[in-house]
Amino acid sequence: MDYLYTIVILVGLYVVLASSFNLVIGYGGLISIAHPIFYAIGAYGSAILARDYGVPIYAAMIIGALIAVAASVLVALPSLRVSGDYLLIASIGFQLGLLEVFKNVSWTGGAGGLTNIPAALIGNTGREGYVLLVVVVAVLSVLLVRAIAHGPYGRALSAMRDDEVAFAALGRNAVALKVGTFALGSGLAGFAGALYAHYFRFLAPEQFEILQSSVILTMVVVGGLRTTWGPVVGAVLLQALPQAITFMNLPPSLLGPLQGLLFTGLVLVFMAVRPQGLVGAGELWSGSKKEVRDGVRP
Amino acid sequence: MASVLEIKSLNKSFDGIVVADDINLSLPAGRIVGLIGPNGAGKTSLFNLISGVVKPDSGTVTLDGQRLDGRKSYERARLGLSRTWQNLRLFPSLSVLDNLMIAPRHYHGESLMRVVFVPGAVRRAEAESRAKALAVLERTGLAAVTYKPASDLTFGQQKLVGVARALMNDCRCLLLDEPMAGVEGQAYETIQKVVREVAQSGVAVCVVEHNVAFIRDLCDEGVFMFAGKVLARGAVGDLIADPRLTELYFGT
Repeated sequence: MDYLYTIVILVGLYVVLASSFNLVIGYGGLISIAHPIFYAIGAYGSAILARDYGVPIYAAMIIGALIAVAASVLVALPSLRVSGDYLLIASIGFQLGLLEVFKNVSWTGGAGGLTNIPAALIGNTGREGYVLLVVVVAVLSVLLVRAIAHGPYGRALSAMRDDEVAFAALGRNAVALKVGTFALGSGLAGFAGALYAHYFRFLAPEQFEILQSSVILTMVVVGGLRTTWGPVVGAVLLQALPQAITFMNLPPSLLGPLQGLLFTGLVLVFMAVRPQGLVGAGELWSGSKKEVRDGVRP
Repeated sequence: MASVLEIKSLNKSFDGIVVADDINLSLPAGRIVGLIGPNGAGKTSLFNLISGVVKPDSGTVTLDGQRLDGRKSYERARLGLSRTWQNLRLFPSLSVLDNLMIAPRHYHGESLMRVVFVPGAVRRAEAESRAKALAVLERTGLAAVTYKPASDLTFGQQKLVGVARALMNDCRCLLLDEPMAGVEGQAYETIQKVVREVAQSGVAVCVVEHNVAFIRDLCDEGVFMFAGKVLARGAVGDLIADPRLTELYFGT
């Protein structure tokens, strides 16, 4: 049973990560692959606050997510004021740099990892309660991203991706829109990190390296950029796949590289064969598509 | 007549190529001013300088007494400056209606805080802007294509959408960059009618256009530009009749 719970929790957390990353890179059109660092900030922030400073776990989780939001704004604001390309460079630098810090300072547990993270349990419901919590958070994340992308904010993101100069000349603040989108996506990743920390109770810096970036990117691209269900499909599929590989009884030294190859290989295959992903997004902004579908006419 | 937009000593050059050479220009409320001049005279560059797409080297631009220079493009639009583009710049991933609904002077949907925490207010603003967009589409004869993707329209219709989108701002000053290039028939008539109505409501309108007949029919006065300079201002008929300007226009 525990093994099943672990898989459900991992799938749930990856649904949150992939959906929020879809908001950033898909709907927002913001080129960054540093999503795991905000996952890490939420995880480490919440774990350290709860373990070393006695902050109640659920409060620590929310603070952890807010720290991820703050960090994302610090990275995004200066780079996005220059241009979109700088975000990619600045965020990767931030990801690699901060992970080096995590590996080398004592209060994060260093390269050996952070241990003895207090477990979050809901009353005496045991693990089932926590599994349910993660599933609920995953569902709410998907619905939140969907509501935002299909509402007036999504219309603005769509127009901004089409033509930023014309967008600005209409009175729209593109920098604020991008920073807001990046911050929300990163905050959700941070919350997922906090949920991870208090279940698995161990964090190591290498969990949040570039390989993790490619995992989340693959989920979104293979599932379908700018779709509600694409990241969900991608997360379920690509979380199940490595589990299946572990059953193949391969030597551990082969498992890691094999997974990396698998993820990057999948992206290459999909780029060539089905670039829109498993769930393809339409060319028209989805808010307006609905009107067309429903046949609303003046 | 009260001047809405006031340009003083505006200068701009790109690597030695002068696109604005000490330009002084005022656009009065309720009048349609046509910018005339050959290609490369600096007409579109002037629009880019006014709307904040390009930063000037020196000089000031004020709208209703408020300084525009130094402000970002989106801030200028929020003060009541609206423009169209020579090359349309519609949003192809949006329907015609959404192209308009993204364009009010103040758009509630661009603040994540408001979208998440005061959804009721955002919904009301959406309903208002929707009603307004539908009215503008009616007025510009685009009602039949309301829900079509902007990129599916004919070129003339796309030009109309560009003008319609600019009207969503309730602007004080409207800059139209070649609204007639490639437009004929019904769309031509409609643009003319709508631009006149907008001017009559007290908006300062400025039009860049190569179609001399259109300028003569529509504009209250003309401004002749050449090599980044304003050379003359007056009745359009007089400017066209001036042999010196004609020579500059057609080259020697």
